[in-house]
Amino acid sequence: MLGGLAALGALGAAGCTRVAAASGKAGGDLLDRLRAQGVVRLGIAGEVPFGYIDKDGRLTGEAPELAKVIFKRLGVGRVQPVPTEFGSLIPGLNSQQFDVVAAGMYVNPERCQQVIFADPDYQMLDSFIVRKGNPLGLHSYRDVVAKKAKFATGTGYAEIQYAVEAGYKEGDILIVPDQVAGLNAVEAGRVDVFAGTALTTREVVRKSAKAEATRPFAPLVKGTPHVDGGAFAFRPAETSLRDAFNGELRKLKKSGELFRILRPFGFTKAEMTGLTAKELCGG
Amino acid sequence: MKWDWNAVGDFMPAFWHGLLVTLQVLALGSLVSFTLGLVWTLLVRTPLRWVRWPVGVVTEFVRNTPLLVQLFFLFYVLPEWGLTFSALATGVFAVGLHYSTYTMQVYRAGIEAVPAGQWEAATALNLPRRRTWTAVILPQAIRRVVPALGNYVIAMLKDTPILMLITVPEMLQRARLFSQQHFQFTEPITVIGVAFVLISYLASLLLRALERRLVR
Repeated sequence: MLGGLAALGALGAAGCTRVAAASGKAGGDLLDRLRAQGVVRLGIAGEVPFGYIDKDGRLTGEAPELAKVIFKRLGVGRVQPVPTEFGSLIPGLNSQQFDVVAAGMYVNPERCQQVIFADPDYQMLDSFIVRKGNPLGLHSYRDVVAKKAKFATGTGYAEIQYAVEAGYKEGDILIVPDQVAGLNAVEAGRVDVFAGTALTTREVVRKSAKAEATRPFAPLVKGTPHVDGGAFAFRPAETSLRDAFNGELRKLKKSGELFRILRPFGFTKAEMTGLTAKELCGG
Repeated sequence: MKWDWNAVGDFMPAFWHGLLVTLQVLALGSLVSFTLGLVWTLLVRTPLRWVRWPVGVVTEFVRNTPLLVQLFFLFYVLPEWGLTFSALATGVFAVGLHYSTYTMQVYRAGIEAVPAGQWEAATALNLPRRRTWTAVILPQAIRRVVPALGNYVIAMLKDTPILMLITVPEMLQRARLFSQQHFQFTEPITVIGVAFVLISYLASLLLRALERRLVR
């Protein structure tokens, strides 16, 4: 009876948000529903090597491969990709277009206000795409500001914040749809530098004759070097799914299986992490 | 659904910048399309077959392919051949070129609507070909087609958000970037929606006034 009342209250409080987003059970019943459907929808951003569709049309990448393993253990047999732009991942998750963000998304305080994160499955440094030979000598966000370089990054990327923090004017940042467009902008000379994760930039310049990736570095946040962690994101109401996911993730970390799943995508031991979502969400 | 006036306030600085870019694209795009359109019309009327045919083929091609494809071609493919322009310049040129293939038809209609007697009178007065065009035919033709050209300006305005896809920071792009950063969609999208209605409406009032002055 009390539970029923509480559910009613929760619905009332949620106002006109959709019913599925605010299901009665505390912690959400998404996992039960996913088990019944036998399929979970993963939001991906088409970013190699985090989550993408490969040449044969198969869903792969660090996050989807990990999701396949973990969700199988949670009793959900199939995963289904929903490709979108990186910047649309969080809005898409919250508007029910998919159940989980499986794009290796960095955990940061702004995003923590919108979604809840599992613990990071990797940690990562940043890197720049620059023209061959790095003519302007750009190795950090400070250099970009000091050399007055033309700076680009992707929609909704955490790198926007790092550049702004280093003193770059936000309105001057060129926002491109993804890392391939970023590479193109550098090659065509529209910008001097495109910022992304060390892995993405390394992968995307592989076939380029005109551009290269700089040595990975830690961006400064509030004056101290900051190591990012990428994780799965869930809707704020679905804490029980998140906790179950975290449980399986912890087991994979302990057994070393996580590294075996991530290694084919270019991850090294240096990217394995003990960071928690809580630390990265910060204040 | 929640409406947050603070979000509207926060979005406004970005909005003004976006509005400026949109109007810039519209003004320059109109100029390009009006000029190029007239050039195309005159070229397809020349007696020289080797001018008429290529121009006809090119304009037919441009009119019958999507603006977005042309935009991507100009922005992503041309740089491979060493031709790089800024996103804004590419956008203005693409919109202008695309719409010039429509305005050329508008001019054509205007020119054909000039009564045959005017041509005959020009011939009778022994006016040189150049004067016939600039002093007799075009002034009458263009007067007639101003309303139709105006419609294309408004259509062009409504096509400017496509430029967002080649990173031109016009209104929709600003709204989207704001939304992705603040996770608020309702307010910025509504603001630019209202802005589009207002601009279209003002433009149509302006055109009607112009029409009254020119077409008698």
